[in-house]
Amino acid sequence: MFRYILKRLVIMVPTLLITSLLIFWAMDLAGGDPVDQILPENASVAQRDAMRQQMGFNDPFMIRYLRYIKGIVTGDMGKSYISGEDVFKTFMGRLHMTLLLGGTALIFACIISIPLGIYTALHENTWKDTAAMVFALFGQSMPNFWLGLMLILLFSLKLGLLPSGGTGGIRYLILPSVTVGLSLAALLTRTTRSAMLDVIRQDYMTTARAKGASYQRVIYNHGLRNALIPIITAIGMQFSYVMTGSALAETVFGWPGIGRLVVESINKRDTPMVTGSIILCCVLMAVINLSVDIIYAFCDPRIKAQYSSKG
Amino acid sequence: MRKAFLVAFVICSLLSFVPAAFAAPTGKVKDNLVIGVAQEINELNPMMQNDQINNNCFALSHERLIFVDANNGYEIEPEIAESWKWKDDTHLIFTLFKNVRFSNGTPLTSADVVFTLNRARSSDPTQSKVSGTLSLIKDVSALDDYTVQVTTSAYSNELIYSLGAYPLAIQSKAAYADPNNKKPWLIGSGPYQFKEWKEGQYVTYTLGKNYWNDKKEPPVAKEITFKFLLDASQRAIALQNGEIDVCIDPPITDLRFLQNDKNLIVHTQAGTRLFYLGFNVAKAPFDNQKLRQAVSCAIDKESIISIVLDGRGKSQTSVLNRGAWSFLDNDKVKGGYTYDVPRAKNLLAEAGYKPGALTVELYSATDDPYKTIAPIIQANLKDIGINVAIKSMDQATLKTECAKGHQQMFLWRWNIGARVDETYRELFYTDFPTNYHQLKDKYVDQMTDKILTEKDQAKRLQYSIDLQNYLVELVPQVPLYVPDLVIAFNKGLKGAYLTGGGAHNWSRAYIQQ
Repeated sequence: MFRYILKRLVIMVPTLLITSLLIFWAMDLAGGDPVDQILPENASVAQRDAMRQQMGFNDPFMIRYLRYIKGIVTGDMGKSYISGEDVFKTFMGRLHMTLLLGGTALIFACIISIPLGIYTALHENTWKDTAAMVFALFGQSMPNFWLGLMLILLFSLKLGLLPSGGTGGIRYLILPSVTVGLSLAALLTRTTRSAMLDVIRQDYMTTARAKGASYQRVIYNHGLRNALIPIITAIGMQFSYVMTGSALAETVFGWPGIGRLVVESINKRDTPMVTGSIILCCVLMAVINLSVDIIYAFCDPRIKAQYSSKG
Repeated sequence: MRKAFLVAFVICSLLSFVPAAFAAPTGKVKDNLVIGVAQEINELNPMMQNDQINNNCFALSHERLIFVDANNGYEIEPEIAESWKWKDDTHLIFTLFKNVRFSNGTPLTSADVVFTLNRARSSDPTQSKVSGTLSLIKDVSALDDYTVQVTTSAYSNELIYSLGAYPLAIQSKAAYADPNNKKPWLIGSGPYQFKEWKEGQYVTYTLGKNYWNDKKEPPVAKEITFKFLLDASQRAIALQNGEIDVCIDPPITDLRFLQNDKNLIVHTQAGTRLFYLGFNVAKAPFDNQKLRQAVSCAIDKESIISIVLDGRGKSQTSVLNRGAWSFLDNDKVKGGYTYDVPRAKNLLAEAGYKPGALTVELYSATDDPYKTIAPIIQANLKDIGINVAIKSMDQATLKTECAKGHQQMFLWRWNIGARVDETYRELFYTDFPTNYHQLKDKYVDQMTDKILTEKDQAKRLQYSIDLQNYLVELVPQVPLYVPDLVIAFNKGLKGAYLTGGGAHNWSRAYIQQ
C-alpha cells in the first residue's frame, strides 16, 4: 500500500511539469502585454522596454519557462506582477477559505444526497422517486450564480436572517456553501440512487434478509457499503471541482477563495500568479484523488488487496 | 442693571447661533464607515501602482504637495505645500507648511519631499512605476527644511497637476531608512493610518492620533473599511441590508429598488469618464477622413445612452473629458458630425464606398459597457451599409493589439480631468505608446506642445479650443458619452467628497445615525 502511494506521488511530477508547460504556453498565446498591466498608461517607451528587459519578457519562451521551473524547484514560485506579493503565500492565504467553503458544501451535499439517494432507490418508480429526480435535475441545471443571488434576496434581504456576503463567522458560510452544495447534492443523489439500485437487486441482499437480518442492517451494512465506491468517486471528483472552480460563487458572495484569485489573475495577465495557482490546484487535485483511492481500500478489501499485490 | 442684563442676554443668544469653525456632528455617529467597492485594492505603495481603486486608501493616509479640486474647476489648493511658484521657466519652488507631521509623529520636511520625488523618478521598476509622469524633471533639491526646488528641462503648465497625483503622495524618508520597517510606504501624513488588509476581503484604516492640520475639517469616523464586493447586485443588497454604508457603482438595473428604500440615497452627478469609438487612421479603410465622418454621423449616441446607462449620461462631441479645463460642450463645438443618417450616407458616397461594399472590424472588450455598445454600433453602421464584424477580447489583449496597430475600429475609454496635455499627448501625439489611433499629425503635435508651455492663459485657452475643433473635424475618434456618476449610500452619510471621475475622498466622511 505504501509503495502504491509512493508510486502515485512520483507520477505526479511529470503531470505537474506538463501542466505547467501547458499553462505557461496558454498565457503566452493569450496575448496582452503584461507590461501594460504593470505600468501606467503614460509610461514611456523607454520605461516599458526597461521593464520588459528586467522582467525577462524579451527572452524566448523556453528560456522563460525553464527559468520559472528552476524557481519552483528552489521553492520560489515568483511574485505577482500586480501586487508584488509572493505567489505561494497569496495562494495559501486563500486556500483555507476555499477548503472551508468546499468542505462545508460537500458535507451539506452528503447530508442531503446520501439519505435521499437511498430513499429514492428504495421507492423506485413512485412519485417520491420522481420528485427527487426533478430536484436533482433542477439542482444540476441551475446556474449557481443565479441561485446564489436568489438565496441572498430571500434570506438576506427579505428575511434578514443571513448576511449577503463576505466573511466573519459561520453565518457568512451558510449561503455560499448551500449555493455550491445544492448542485453537488443533485449529482450525488443521482449517483447514490443509481449505485443503490444496482446493489439492492443483488442476490446477497435477498439472502441476508432471508437469514433474518433486519431491514436497516440489510440496507446500510450490506447495501450502502457495497454502493460506496461510485459514491466516493463522485464525491472525490466533485470535491476537486469545488476546490478549484467555484469562482462564480466566490464572486457573488465576496468569498476570497482561489477560484476568484485565478480568474482575476488571468484578466490581469499576472502569469506567475496564474501558473503558480494552477500548479498548486493540480497538486491539490492529485492529493484529493489519491485520498479517494486510499479510502477505496478501506471500504473495499478487494481493492486493498489489489494495491498491496501490485505495490 | 436690568438693561445691561437684557443686552447681555441678547448678545449671548445671538452668539449661540454663530456656528463653530468646524461644528462637531450632532447626534450619534457610526464608528466604522464601510464602503463596498467593485474591485480589489491591490497595492498600498502609492508609487508602485496605477489603479484608481487604490487611491481610495491613499486619500486617507497620505497627502500630496497640492490638492486639485475636481469639483471646483480643478483649482489647485494647498495641502502639504503652503505656496508654490515658478521662479523661472525651469525652476518650480514649493514652500511647505511648517507643522506637517507623519502619522508616527515625525515631522515632514523638504527632505521627505525630495526623497519621495527622486524615488518616484527612478527608472528602477522595483522602486517606482510612475516615473513616466515626471520625465520633465531633471532634479529635486531642498533649499532649506521647508523649501523644495524642482528643476525641469522646460516650463510646463501641467507639471503642478502631475505633482498633485496620489502616486506622488509624500512618504517618509526616515521610514525607508529604518531597517525594522518592512512596509515604510504605509506611513503618510494623512488623518488615517493603515490598520489591516485581509487579502481578497477588505482594507481598514483607523483614525490617527497625530494629524497635524487643524485648519481643515477634522475627520470623524473612527475607522473606514473598503470591502471588496465584486458582484454589483450583491453589493446593492449588502447596502440595503446595512452591511455596507456606501455602494460604489450600483447596478443600473437595481437602481429603482435602491431609490425606493427610504434608508438610502441614490446620488447622481455629472461624470467625467469618456467612452469613445476610435479609428486606426494609419491604415485602410479609416485612413479616409470622409469615411470616419460618415461613421460619426451614423452613430446614435442617445440610443446608446438609453440602452447602456438607462439615460444616465450625456453624449459628447469634444475629445476632452467633460469638465476639463477648456472643455467645449456640444453646443460650443464648431461643426461636428452628430447623428444624421442621410448625411452619413452622403459622406459614405463621398468617401467612395457603395452601401454594403465595406466590412470592417470593431475591437471590443468583453466586459461592460463595451460588450453592450458594440452591437449597437454594428446595427447603426448597418443602417448606412457598413458591415461590422465585432472582435471581442479581454482588456489586456485589446490594449496590446491596439498598441500594435492591428485594429480598424476600437471601443475604449479615457478619464483624465486636470491635465489636458495627457489627453492630447497620450491619445493623439505622434508615436506615443497609447496613441491607439496611430495618428501622425504635425498640427496636433505642435498645438499639444504649445498648450503645455504657453504662459499667456488666454492664448493657451484658444489653442485648446482650436485643437478640439480640429480634432472634431479630423475625427480620429467618435466621442460617445460620459456616464453620470451614480453612487448609493446610507442616508446618514455626511462629509464625502465625490468626484465625477470616481476619485472620491472619504477622509471626512461619516454616518450620522
